[in-house]
Amino acid sequence: MSRHRDVRNINVAGKMFQALGNETRLISHSHSDELDDGAVSDGGEEDLSPQEYEQLMSGLDHIRATVGSQEQSGLSDKEIKDTLYHYFFNVEQSINYLLEAQTRKIAARERKAAKEREKAEKLAQQKKAAEASAKLPPAKPKKATGAKLSGASTPVRSTDIRQLDLAGLNLDDETVLPIDEPPPKITVAREKVLEEARKQLEGNADKKTVSLVVIGHVDAGKSTLMGRLLYELGRVDDKTRKAHERASSKIGKSSFSWAWELDGTTEERERGITMDIALQSFATPRRQITILDAPGHRDFIPNMISGASQADCALLVVDAAVGEFEAGFERGGQTREHLLLVRSLGVSQVVIAINKLDQVQWSQARYKEICKLLRPFLIQSGFHPSKTKFVPVGAMAGVNLVARDGDEAQALNAWYSGPTLCDLLDELEPPTRDLDAPLRFPVANVFRTPSSVIAVSGRVCGGLVQVGERLRIVPGDETAVVKAIESEEERLEWAAAGSNVTLHLTAVDPRHITIGSVLCPPTDVVPLVTSFTARIIVFDIQVPITAGTSVELFHHSRDVPASISKLLATLDRASGTVLRKNPRVLAKSMSAEVQITLRSTTVSGPTARAQPIPLEPFSVNKEMGRILIRRGGETIGAGIVTELN
Amino acid sequence: MKLLGKHLDKDGSGYVTLRPDDDEDIWHLYNLIQEGDRVRASAVRRVQNVSATGSIESHRVRLNLTLAVARVTWSPSTAAAGEAASFSTDASTSTSAPAHAATLHISGRVTSENPHVKMGAFHTLDVEVNRDVRIEKDEGGWDSIALGRVEESCVPGRGAEVAAIVCGEGTATFCLLSQHMTMVMHRLEVSIPRKIAANSGAHEKGLTRFYSALFTSFLRHIPYSSPTIRAIVIASPGWVRDAVFDYIMAEATRTGNKALLSTRNKFIKVHVTSPHVHSLVEVLKSPEIASQLKETKFAREGIMLDKFFKMLGADEMRAWYGPVHVALAADRGAIGTLLISDDLFRASDPIMRKKYVQLVEDARQKNAEVLIFSSMHESGQPILTFPLDVEVVEAEEREAKEEEERRKQAEENGEDVNAG
Repeated sequence: MSRHRDVRNINVAGKMFQALGNETRLISHSHSDELDDGAVSDGGEEDLSPQEYEQLMSGLDHIRATVGSQEQSGLSDKEIKDTLYHYFFNVEQSINYLLEAQTRKIAARERKAAKEREKAEKLAQQKKAAEASAKLPPAKPKKATGAKLSGASTPVRSTDIRQLDLAGLNLDDETVLPIDEPPPKITVAREKVLEEARKQLEGNADKKTVSLVVIGHVDAGKSTLMGRLLYELGRVDDKTRKAHERASSKIGKSSFSWAWELDGTTEERERGITMDIALQSFATPRRQITILDAPGHRDFIPNMISGASQADCALLVVDAAVGEFEAGFERGGQTREHLLLVRSLGVSQVVIAINKLDQVQWSQARYKEICKLLRPFLIQSGFHPSKTKFVPVGAMAGVNLVARDGDEAQALNAWYSGPTLCDLLDELEPPTRDLDAPLRFPVANVFRTPSSVIAVSGRVCGGLVQVGERLRIVPGDETAVVKAIESEEERLEWAAAGSNVTLHLTAVDPRHITIGSVLCPPTDVVPLVTSFTARIIVFDIQVPITAGTSVELFHHSRDVPASISKLLATLDRASGTVLRKNPRVLAKSMSAEVQITLRSTTVSGPTARAQPIPLEPFSVNKEMGRILIRRGGETIGAGIVTELN
Repeated sequence: MKLLGKHLDKDGSGYVTLRPDDDEDIWHLYNLIQEGDRVRASAVRRVQNVSATGSIESHRVRLNLTLAVARVTWSPSTAAAGEAASFSTDASTSTSAPAHAATLHISGRVTSENPHVKMGAFHTLDVEVNRDVRIEKDEGGWDSIALGRVEESCVPGRGAEVAAIVCGEGTATFCLLSQHMTMVMHRLEVSIPRKIAANSGAHEKGLTRFYSALFTSFLRHIPYSSPTIRAIVIASPGWVRDAVFDYIMAEATRTGNKALLSTRNKFIKVHVTSPHVHSLVEVLKSPEIASQLKETKFAREGIMLDKFFKMLGADEMRAWYGPVHVALAADRGAIGTLLISDDLFRASDPIMRKKYVQLVEDARQKNAEVLIFSSMHESGQPILTFPLDVEVVEAEEREAKEEEERRKQAEENGEDVNAG
């Protein structure tokens, strides 16, 4: 049984979900078409066709007959008309709705009998205003379709439904309108934004955005390659380069000068090692690429995981020097572990840059040998051969990154005529994004901008986020308002699933946001769990997993202590059918269903209680449902969350 | 703990009077006292007297009460603080141990006659350090395990302790390891902004803030100059431990802290793979520590557990866990080493307890080594979290075992191994 079959198997569920997503998207499209027709002629009764006007008036009469006059019912003509419009002149539905609204109003009035009349009137006005603002300008017809649209794509809840829900809870006092309600301007824009985002993802936009994590064994030359690539593409100017060259040779580490562009901290520079993710971006002719330069050292794999969970594709850098490649590729080397990690985190495309070929005199034999060694492992790990590309490079000299000219490249030109690294990156395909899902934004970094605004960076994992939106911070009871969205030093109005952005937040104390928090809409909050069921694949491990094994659980940028509390069943790797219930141990390369329980981080002993973390099943949000399990500095398994308990 | 008096009958009934000296002794008491026992200790009770005219007079009386135990609860010294840790991780949030130590609450009905309290009235005793406690058990109550614990806890000079700081970038946990307990003294969390490619100012500022917070907590929570502290371990992945050690020493020099400087050679830096508390297990396994603490109980536990897991991987037929499997192995005298969690002996069901005691006694009789793991230790945690709670290592008679295995398989298919 090979590993890749199983990974693919996991993906089947994902694809089905995707397919489902597409369907809903289609539906919503047809709606938005309707919507556009309607939108042309909006603005009030004046714009109604004569028939519609007649329908409206007769409907009004009908309803008045049922509910009584304005004094009796407390319902104004305008309200009735709006409702009628909302339900496409369907009298029955409108009456139902109005009666509901009426009883609600009465209930509210009775509750505050003491302060009553004036207040109740104000309330009614407020309510009217609420309805009006929700439906307002270019809005009335749009609102109606908007509501339907959200009905089709279940996860999104439109404002309309939310209002009804709130009303159902009898929350109608002064705070009828939760302050959480985004201003009307935004609600309207949302539809447009959705469309715009969709358009961009469908390829009508000039450049598709892809995020790329750079992985590989320690000292393979990841940061150097990136530094050089940024320079070749003009993202680093000569002045900075010279400054780095001077400073690095000053401390006797001139060979790291290219990496200094990404390794910013003093400690990283002193040790000549990347310790945390560095985020940079550049543009190729057809792609806008965000790179996440990951650390290769095994102690910093938690940081690497945090980076890899924000990426669509991977660039694997391997060292071609004799002995070095082997060291990275053998058991315990990071070449292997990183590849498995990114695959488990849903990355399916990988470009393999075979670096430092200059150290083996650009030997074609060596290049071929390395490709031959890597290929079976890639297939085994679940990378499709058509989605893995190899390219020989020399990072230090900048050979075959963007171009292959100059003296240094002569030796390579003798046998290689394929694409350059940049050409390959230009062909990366962004995966499908889930726009209809509710917003999920796992925070990878919290900091203050130079102007002292609280900023969080990370990747939008589903849905979209807009400027002005109020977001809930999970875990915790706090909310924050998005003040600005920044990506590659540009201000954006919105950001959709799959983009790596920095959000500037206001109206929040930074103590409530930590690395690992998830931002989500207040109406659709991520569940918090301390225990869940997951389907995992066990990696190549020496010591088997028993029930009770203490592990570290990785989910996006968060890592928490956990234990595998129950081994529920071992599964067939290919078909997923149950092989054995309640197995005693899990040995290497098994597939199994297990229950994972978080452990307390604060106290040990019988009274300890664990803090829950935000998590969602894979079937709900793919990116939020992937987990990694490590033990003793070694990744022992990867999996997907099937059920929260 | 001091043994003040002991009166036991042959049938295992009788009483023992003890005086706890420190937190660890409270833990021992928690493990000794079971539901149904009678405990006598001093208590403070508010007594109300109704006079003939109906006026009520109430005053506090210090008295000795004997309770029939209905419930025993134990809280570690840090439990209250631990809750507060939650998610608040601002500049430097930290949770610290309150001044008072671990506590044990024993509640039940009063069973002895008393001028102030009626028989059968409920009371809760707070057991504190340096207050005598008399524990009286019924027939069979003082079994080998219970007596073993009394003996163990009364050995003088067992107080060798290790202080450990497990840290990562931005997090640190201060622990004290004693024979039976891992006490988390303090947890420190400082949010450090991660690096942003070119500009590392914020990151470094955060780091400095973290180090200085760590240093102050170190001074407050680690009794570094105490002679009972045998070693101070700084454990972390990456290079944080070097930086932390350098910072502590630099600060000690700067502030002229002679006491701290003189303990320089007590510091041991250990590499672990994660900044979480459970990597203490790795600390104990590391050669630097193992050689220093070889004879101590927890080091031995760590080593045996490691051996068990290795065996489970290499030779599945020789390592077993779960009550059903272990009981079978014990029946056949196949146990070489028995690892068992003390959690099991706290079982409120006396029949269950008897079963486990029997198991241990049987194993001892057959010259097997028995290690009772403390559930208050990181090394004991894995066993504690095993749903089945007991495990066995190795049997010498391979053939017998394999035959047994076949039988077991057959049985297992029939009955679901239940955690109970």
